[in-house]
Formats: sequence, structure tokens, C-alpha cells
Amino acid sequence: MDAEIHDELRAVARDLLGKAGPAGRPDWQLLAGAGWPGLEVPGALDGADATFAETAVILAELGRAAARSPYLGIVVLGIGTLTQLEPAPDRDKLLREAATGAGAPVAALADGDDESGTSAPFRIERSARGLRLHGRAAFVPDAAQAGRLLLLALDPGGVPVIANVEPHAPGLGVAAQPVLDATRRLALVTADNVEVRQTSVWRFAGDPQGTIRRLLDRAAVAVACDSLGLSEAMLAATVAYAKVREQFGRPIGSFQAVKHACADMLVQVSVARELVAQAVSQLAENDPHATVAASMAKSHACGTAVDVVGKAMQLHGGMGYTWESGVHVYLKRAALNRSLFGSPAAHRRRLAGRYLAQSTVLAKPTVIARSGQLPAARLAFASSPAGTSPTRTTECPSSSRPNTSGQISQH
Amino acid sequence: MSSEPRDLEEFRAAVRDWCRTHVPRGWRQAQTGVSDEEYVSFQKAWFHELRQAGFAVPHWPKQWGGGMPVAGQVVLYSELAAHDAPRLVLAFVAIHHAAATLLAAGTDEQRRRHLPAILDGEIWVQGFSEPGAGSDLASLKTTARRDGDRYVVNGQKLWASGATHADWCLLLARTGPAAPKRRGISYFLLDMRTPGIDVRPIRQATGESHFCEIFLNDVVVPATQLVGPENGGWRVAQQTLGAERGMTMLELAERLGQAGFRWLVESCARPGPGGRRPLDDGLVQDRLAVFETEIAGLRALCRRLVDDHEAGPPGPAGASIVKLYYSELLQRMTDFGTEVAGLAAHTELRKPVSSGWESGAWVLDFVGSWEWTIPGGTSEIQRTIIAERGLGLPREPIGS
Repeated sequence: MDAEIHDELRAVARDLLGKAGPAGRPDWQLLAGAGWPGLEVPGALDGADATFAETAVILAELGRAAARSPYLGIVVLGIGTLTQLEPAPDRDKLLREAATGAGAPVAALADGDDESGTSAPFRIERSARGLRLHGRAAFVPDAAQAGRLLLLALDPGGVPVIANVEPHAPGLGVAAQPVLDATRRLALVTADNVEVRQTSVWRFAGDPQGTIRRLLDRAAVAVACDSLGLSEAMLAATVAYAKVREQFGRPIGSFQAVKHACADMLVQVSVARELVAQAVSQLAENDPHATVAASMAKSHACGTAVDVVGKAMQLHGGMGYTWESGVHVYLKRAALNRSLFGSPAAHRRRLAGRYLAQSTVLAKPTVIARSGQLPAARLAFASSPAGTSPTRTTECPSSSRPNTSGQISQH
Repeated sequence: MSSEPRDLEEFRAAVRDWCRTHVPRGWRQAQTGVSDEEYVSFQKAWFHELRQAGFAVPHWPKQWGGGMPVAGQVVLYSELAAHDAPRLVLAFVAIHHAAATLLAAGTDEQRRRHLPAILDGEIWVQGFSEPGAGSDLASLKTTARRDGDRYVVNGQKLWASGATHADWCLLLARTGPAAPKRRGISYFLLDMRTPGIDVRPIRQATGESHFCEIFLNDVVVPATQLVGPENGGWRVAQQTLGAERGMTMLELAERLGQAGFRWLVESCARPGPGGRRPLDDGLVQDRLAVFETEIAGLRALCRRLVDDHEAGPPGPAGASIVKLYYSELLQRMTDFGTEVAGLAAHTELRKPVSSGWESGAWVLDFVGSWEWTIPGGTSEIQRTIIAERGLGLPREPIGS
């Protein structure tokens, strides 16, 4: 889909979420009516055949509004997982329902307590009376509101599968984990000897490990989209406030200290926006390198959001610290986002693993400190005779600097 | 780049082949500690090589010898950096600032006179700043007095990089002393061989003497060398500086990603005196991942700026955002390089000419990074521009 369609989608989303107000709870049926749950569902199953690029537009708007919505749990995790499974009548039925906003499938792909995020949180064991499910996953978004739980588990052969279980199945526990962020709902999912029918064990259509990696990257980038949206909202709110709030007889936005803080926010948000856009488009295109872009986007956008909202609170002054102003809602959501689906440090560890693997084959820069004055004639094309003028003291090219507009003063 | 279109992939392969056969072997060593003449001759020869290949001015319009799509330029710059090709230092102002000015505001005659000459190696310098006109450039005092079909220029310019080698100068001078300060400035093309010009180098923090003062004493400029209308020079400078900003940053961002970061990792992978590698430290790994991420963001920002510019007028603050972010990222990275490379880095007393801003001689690179955060609009000025033009915050009360 092109940028125009994204703009339209964004405008509709902003309008719809705007009606619910900041930190509002948009009516799920309204979102379903707008077709949001079915965006990535295949057309054959009554979906819109769109990609993660379109889902990302909605996610940023949900962040901008700090909306209380189970979109992350149901659409990003639940439906996102269902689309990656082998087609089967049960799965198709659930997906078709979900596309219309029904069924509320939520997936538990990772244990939020497990920073490495590499192992399946559940396992299926074979017992005398059939298959039994064990394990736990903490901080699963929207699990307490799920109509159906999709639990990532290792089957008895050690192959990752999805166990499709009823939230009220005997032995299954779904306990809400109240958090300071009032806009997200998280829950601890535990399974102790839960009976699982063979027909409820669903296999991934492609390579399970690669698919799970992509689903987790997708979840991380979804949260990054949310953080980007809420950063943009807080920057806009801060700028609007700085234009009207007056002290010392001037709008506070005319003071350089305030102005420069706002400029820094815009720069950070601009960089985050590019990194998120890159990760989203690579995920939408199933690019195998998307995992690097995902870690960059998650670590940067979610770290930036906390900085930006923190600055927003600071620049709103005493008003910003009040409950009434609502800045705290964004600060808590930004801080929670930062820890969901991998902290910035965890994502950077993933990035850094590549340096350790590569460092032996990287070319060394040839920097010769003191001597090393080879005759110029050795160069492929050099034509000059040896110079006679004094040797340059240090060699640092200086004219390669674009003159940006600041050289011309701002006034 | 995995989803690169076929024609770009082919172009990338062609640039790689070209680099393998044309990047002079051992140029870093050979260009460390050379004389000015050798440096100039090396730069001119490298410019000629790039020109022969069609790589010198890819950003110019097709009719003047350019016309490469932005995506191709990104590939070109990233491959040149990856193959550690020398940078075009001497020709920089000519191919970017001078060309953008001539293309946007020059007469046909001025373009025909200078654009081909630039391809033949004509060197340009920018004569904008003055001792009393830095951040507040519009308060410049150099005068150009009309005298029939010519102007007589008097004054002093400062921070003119590479003026000792320049053939021509982009000059801002005051032609309307009674007008409000921005409405009395004109834009001239000044032949540096004109009598009355005295160029004196200034020694910089790095020890080099690349910035210059230009003294102008009754220098005669024909009226035909005026760019744009008399007293309309401020607008010309504003427009044309914007035109080239994206392109220059595109190249520098690719350099930072392809060469600078690679060397930073390499520096961290070098065992220290105790045999320990900084790279094995988790804190070092974390910092590297931050830099890699920030560079990825910078590169994407630069591409966006150039794409937007092709599509229409770019956002008013885009260029300032890129300049500010690049400058401070370069400073943070070279600072970190200095820190991890330890005392040994301080024994690298020179860096090769024609290299990038991150040469791997980290201490000199770090000291030299202020050449990015101060000139071309200080970081403070950039933040003010970003806030006022990008966010619409109220302007500072203007002093007298």
C-alpha cells in the first residue's frame, strides 16, 4: 500500500481514537468495524490482505492516544501468530472470526521475566492420559481478556508449536498483574498439567525458529511504533504549551533553554521515526535482516520515548507533574514499553553479538603515525613531483563541511 | 539492502569493481605527512579519476554531467567509503556550494563559464564569515561599492577553508549600507587572482592551518559577477545553501557508517597491553550498539532529506536536524574512540590528508570534531533554527 492509503488510515484512526479522548478506551466493536483486527488476515478469510506496514500505522496512533486497547495482545500477538500457522479448519475458523473482531485470541510467545527471550515459555509432555501442558509466561499483554490463548510450547519432540487452549481450562491460571501504567493490561499465564487435545496443537507453516524470531521482532517493533506515537504526541503537547504559557512577560517557548530542549526532542523523535520506519518496512517485506532493524528500532524508539516524555513533564512545569495533566500516563506507558519485549540493553546485546562474530575479519585502518612517507609515484595515478614546501603539521581535511543555514543567522 | 532492485545491484557491483582497480593502494600511508603541493595534486588527480568514471558530480543535473538518481548516489557513496577511497576535500565547495549557487541563481553565462571549469578542477572557497559576523552572519561589514560597471570590495573574511588553494570565492558583501542588515547584502563570484586579495592561514586546534583569513583591499569585481539581484544576496545564500546540504550529508553519513563505525569496532577488538580487548567488555559492546543504531538513523534521515528535496521543498528544519545530529554523533564517536584506544592513540601525531572525519587516529579526529559543531552554524544556532522553523516556537527578541 502506498503513502496515500497510510495517510488516510492514519487520519481515520486519529479521528476514531480522538473521540475516546487521551488514555481513553475506544470501543473494540468500533475498531473492529473499521477493519483493524483483520488488516493482516488473508482475503480468503475475510481479512484485508494488508501487511504489518498498515498495522504499524494503527499502532503509532494507539500510542499517540495512549489508548486502552487490547490491540497489542489480540492483533499483534494473537492474529499475528495465527497467520503464521499451518492452515487447518479450526485455525481458519478462529482467524476468520478474529478478523471481524470476535474470539479475542491472545498469544503468549515469551515470558516477560526472561530477558533472553529465546526459549518457549511452555512445554507439552506426553502422559498416560494424553498430552499435558506445563509452564509459565509473565507479563503477557491482554491475556486476562483473551477468549482464546495461544501458548508457544515445545512439543514432546522439542519442536515449537502453538497450544490452543481455553482460558478457563482446568490447571490453567491467568492472573492479572496490575502495573502502574493504567493503559495496558498484563497477566501471568501459568499451566500446570493442562490437558491438551492433539487437534489443539498447531504447527507453524514455516521454519518454527525463524517464524518465532519474526513474531517476537514484530512484537518489539509494534511496541516501538507505540512509543514513537506517544513521543510525537508529547512533543506536540509540549510545543503547544510552550507557545502559550507565559512567564517573565514572554511565552516560555521563546527562552533558549526551553527552545533547545524542544529541538532535542524533535531530533530524537526524527531519528526514532526513521529507525521504526526501516524496521516496519523490512518486517512487512519479510526481509531476513529485519531482526537487526527491529532491535535498533526497539532500543532507540523506546529509550527515546522515556526521554521525550520526561522532558515533556519537565517543560510543563508544575502543571506537568499533576495527575490532571495526564503527562504521567504517557511517562508510565513509555517506561513500560521500554521493558516490554526486550529492554534496550537486551536488544543492544543482540546487535553487539554481530561485532564479536565479525571483528576478526574487519579490515584494519592503515593509520601511520610518524613516518610512512611513501613516494607519491607509488600511487596508481599520482603525478606530482615531490613537494618542496614545508610538510603539513597535521593532516585533517577541513573544507569538506557543508555550510548549513545557521551560518546565516536565525534572525 | 537485501531487497535492492536489480539495476542498483548491478551498479553496486560495477562501483565495487571500479573501486578495486582505482582506489590507490596505500594512499593513507602515502598521504600522511605530505607537502601542500602533494596533497593538492593528489586531490586533483583523484577528482579526475572520479570524473572519468562519472562519479565526481553525480548530484548535478544531467546536462552538466550528473543526473544520477539518489538511490544510485547512496550506493556510490557507501561503496567508496567501504573501499576506503580518498574523499574529495579540495573540490568540496566547488562541486556542492558553488555549483548549487550557479544552478539556482547564476546566469547562463556564469554557469557556462564555471560549471565545466569546476569539472576541470577549478577550486572554490566560501567567503561568508567575518570577525564580527559569525553566528550573526547578516551583520557582516565587508563592503562592495558600486562604481560604474564594477564593484570595489573592502573588508575581511574569516574561516575560509582552503582559501590558499582557491581559484574563486563565493563572496557576501554589503552593497546597501543604509538598508536593514539582511536586505543590503549581495552575492558575488570573486576571482582569487584579483589584485588586493591577501590570504593568511590560521592555525587550528588540530595544529593544521586550513582555515584562512582573506583580506580584501580595494578589490575590483565586475558587475557581471553579481549572482542574483543587487542587495538580494541573502536570499540567494539561503536558497542555495539548502540545495546542497542533503547531498553533502548523504556522503558523510555513508562514510560514518561504512568506514567510521567499522574502525571503531576494529579499535575495540585490538588487545590492550594486558591482552584484554575492550570489545569483550559488555559496556563497550553496549556503546557500540548505540553508535551503530544512531548511524543507521542518521543515514535514513539523510536519504529522507534528499528524497524530500527531490519531491519538493523540504521541511524547514530537516537540514539543521541532520547537521546537528551528524556533528554531535561524530563528536561522541570520536570521543569514545579516543577513550577505548587509550594512551597509544595519543602517539598518533598525524592523520592522512584526504581521509574522512573519522580516520581512526581518534584523538585528532576528536579534536577535529569541533570543526563540525562550531562552523556552518553552531549546534546552538541549529537548535534555535530547529525550534523556530521546525516547531514554530516564538523567536528570540532581536537585539539592536
